[in-house]
Amino acid sequence: MSLERKHIIFWLPLFLLCCIGFTTVLNTPQQVLAVLETKQKVFEAGDTIALNFKLNTPAKTQLFLHASFGSTILESDTANYMLPDFLSNKKGIIYYTLLHNSKAILKGTIEVKANTTNPVQLESYVGPPSIIAGGTDYTMQVVVPTDIYDNPLPDSTAMRLKHQFLDTEKEEDLYSKDMIGWSTIYSYNQSGRMLLSSKVRETASKEFSIEVFPSLPEDFQINSQRKHSYADGNQITEFITSVLKDEYGNIVSDGTLVEFKIQDKKGVVLQTQGGTVNGQAIGKILHPDHQDVWEVIAFIPGIAKSNVLQLEYASVLNEFDVQFSKNNREIIVGPLLSFMDQLIPDGAIVILKIEKDKSIETKIKTSSDGIARFILKKDFYPSGKYTIKIEALGVQKKFSQIPLK
Amino acid sequence: MTNWNKNIYRSLIISSFLGIVILILLGIGKTLSYLNTGADRSSMLHLALDKDQAYLPKVIWKDTINPGRLIEKQTLLDIEKDYLSAWYVRQVAYQTNLTSGIDDYYTNSAQQHIIKNLEANKQKDIIVKGTTTNHNLLLDFYSADGQLAVLTDKNVKEYQQIYQKNQLLLETEVQSDYQIMLLLEDGFWRIRHIVKKESQITKDNVQTKRIAKVIGTKIYVDNQEFQIKGINYYPQKTPWDMFGDDFDMNVIAKDLDIIKTMGLNTIRIFLQYEDFGKATVKREKLQKLRQVLDQAEAKDLKVIVTLFDFYGDYSVLDWTLTHRHVEQITSKFKNHKAILAWDIKNEPNLDFESRGQENVVAWLREMMLQIKQYDPNHLVTIGWSDIASANILKDEVDLVSFHYYQDIDFFEEGYKRLNTKINKPLVLQEYGLSSNQGFWSPFGVSEKKQAEYHKQFQEIIKGQNIHYLSWTLYDFEEVPTSVVGSLPWRKHKQKHFGFIDSKGNKKKAFEFAGN
Repeated sequence: MSLERKHIIFWLPLFLLCCIGFTTVLNTPQQVLAVLETKQKVFEAGDTIALNFKLNTPAKTQLFLHASFGSTILESDTANYMLPDFLSNKKGIIYYTLLHNSKAILKGTIEVKANTTNPVQLESYVGPPSIIAGGTDYTMQVVVPTDIYDNPLPDSTAMRLKHQFLDTEKEEDLYSKDMIGWSTIYSYNQSGRMLLSSKVRETASKEFSIEVFPSLPEDFQINSQRKHSYADGNQITEFITSVLKDEYGNIVSDGTLVEFKIQDKKGVVLQTQGGTVNGQAIGKILHPDHQDVWEVIAFIPGIAKSNVLQLEYASVLNEFDVQFSKNNREIIVGPLLSFMDQLIPDGAIVILKIEKDKSIETKIKTSSDGIARFILKKDFYPSGKYTIKIEALGVQKKFSQIPLK
Repeated sequence: MTNWNKNIYRSLIISSFLGIVILILLGIGKTLSYLNTGADRSSMLHLALDKDQAYLPKVIWKDTINPGRLIEKQTLLDIEKDYLSAWYVRQVAYQTNLTSGIDDYYTNSAQQHIIKNLEANKQKDIIVKGTTTNHNLLLDFYSADGQLAVLTDKNVKEYQQIYQKNQLLLETEVQSDYQIMLLLEDGFWRIRHIVKKESQITKDNVQTKRIAKVIGTKIYVDNQEFQIKGINYYPQKTPWDMFGDDFDMNVIAKDLDIIKTMGLNTIRIFLQYEDFGKATVKREKLQKLRQVLDQAEAKDLKVIVTLFDFYGDYSVLDWTLTHRHVEQITSKFKNHKAILAWDIKNEPNLDFESRGQENVVAWLREMMLQIKQYDPNHLVTIGWSDIASANILKDEVDLVSFHYYQDIDFFEEGYKRLNTKINKPLVLQEYGLSSNQGFWSPFGVSEKKQAEYHKQFQEIIKGQNIHYLSWTLYDFEEVPTSVVGSLPWRKHKQKHFGFIDSKGNKKKAFEFAGN
């Protein structure tokens, strides 16, 4: 018995050792080797792409694919793989890695090229959409031809770019590079609308239009128009420009803003402005209310200016009446009479200055029916002697030591 | 008795009344606040999108000369930002198999190709965690109206982890060129076409002025053989926060003098990832680091700088942020004579369980390449927490560093075994014993035992000629919870590893700190 036990003690470990030995031998996986049977390395988008691998021993494998837009994994028991549409339709290099038990056993690349047999799709981009006449400014036409799977066509794809302007029709043949074909189209001397189009193989683009605006206007002339030359402060003088044109004779765009600057005898600057319609701008301003000489110049700031125009305005009256009543507290100025002895239209400005040692108040009123009436209230002007100055339509009058009661 | 009941009923009625009122008010409030949410008017202008960039691979514009139009600096920045965002949203999409964000950075027709791929991946339960580490951009074309651009992106290094049913199937790193067409739509530069091209592999020649190098199992500094005799260093008042508000250069200078008198020649210091500013490293932190390094150089001490302390993300999408962090630090000090080595991370193997070994190791491997790229002059190591982990990435590191806190009696054998397996300098980067006898561990180690431990260790070190750095100079009064957790006995232990106690007195072990 004890002998047997000894035997067991001796044999058992040996037996176990053998077991372990065998299991390790059995578990040693045969190394899986693979070769790519598919000889084609370059495909066209839209082709069925099958990658068939030959393994030295049947095994379950996986294929990792890394392409332009992303990565994925395919599984197969036979090591034959069919690439899904989203990979076989997209242009670019595809890296593949064949995996067995999470170990890479074969790596490589295939290439998918753009499909050149199917009709072309065109995308065109034109900009800027408006340019200036004269041949220095330009617009750019960019054409992106793709195949039906939205892959940019290869470099050196021939394309024809066309444009039409007035009587001119031109076309240009060029070859794509970096996915695109492009051309710059310079403006002509005339303003107007330019139409562009492009064509790659049999596919034509739609029509694009860009606006060619006139270039910068040149210096111009101004004239004036008025109903009479009297300084009545009531009528309106108009300044009218000549037709504004650029150096190529294109009439400037409507709405070009012209500023009119007026300087009077004293050096005071008045300003008015107008936008062009059909190249002409009109500036309007009220007549002065006193004798004056105006110097007028018009300009488009920073771009063009006009001649200087001189305008004289004659005084409408030399004299007017002033009546004091109600203890001199009511002062009636007028009637103010205009150049034909008619009552001056309502709204002529009458200024009344009250002084006592120093200036106290300046009252401004507009005439009504030729008359302006001022009332000096007792609350503000206690009894005493005041100096009163009155000014209307360029005529000044002074009344010293007027007693107010 | 009835009175009681009445009161109970009363209180029930009142409390239920109050409860109902509260619920109604809450409901009204919720409804109102729900009705108030919605499209913010500012979102129309995409102004709110200007947040921190989450994706920062290295981008270099190699060339912007193009036949179309001279590009403005601002447009170049806009294109770069949107182009990177396009990569980012695509990485996120492939990681989640959701399409959110794709429509912002890809035109309608380009989106379709991604969506089809995502659908297929979703069906097969495949997710791809990827990132790109560098982009070299060339502007091929920029249109006159500023609405269309074509770029070539050369040598894009892409790292990907492919998971199926949450099992990691494959880790790949590929380098490819891309040609990209972008269109400006709604204020976004959106990708219209991507075509992948074969990449011409070019190796950049990096100019090196090697300050430290390794030949065989020996370290050389300035062509002199160098034996590391060092200590892990934190100032006593600011452990785990060396470069914080209480940074005091005078204290550090004095400590370096003490270390020098101990007969040591190296210190190991730690830079906390968040404290240093994550992807945008704070200038003042770099200045403080420079002061420390200058001081060490003046005192002829070498420094092992441990990066990424307290960092724990490792996710593939976070890579580029950490790369920018390391770029700013290492390129700044690539010529500094005081640095011996960059230690990428302290004890990263402790994160294997929570973050996945494959993630941590992949991150470390790439980080190694990044550091070498920005600073080829210094050595790189990883501070593994035990001998068993030390052979991970042993071929990539310059120094193999490990820590040892187990039984001292098994050290020599473990070291010898490791030494036969690795043909590189081995650095015992941390070891030590806490003299933690006290309230929290009445049967703990006394200062005398600690001294004996260090004495014994020094003998082994001498016998085997081992590079060593002990833990640590000081006993600490405070240990942050983030280091060892909040348990008081663990904190207590961590406080007493020093050679000098918290009152500034030399402990018995002090004389055995060096040899």
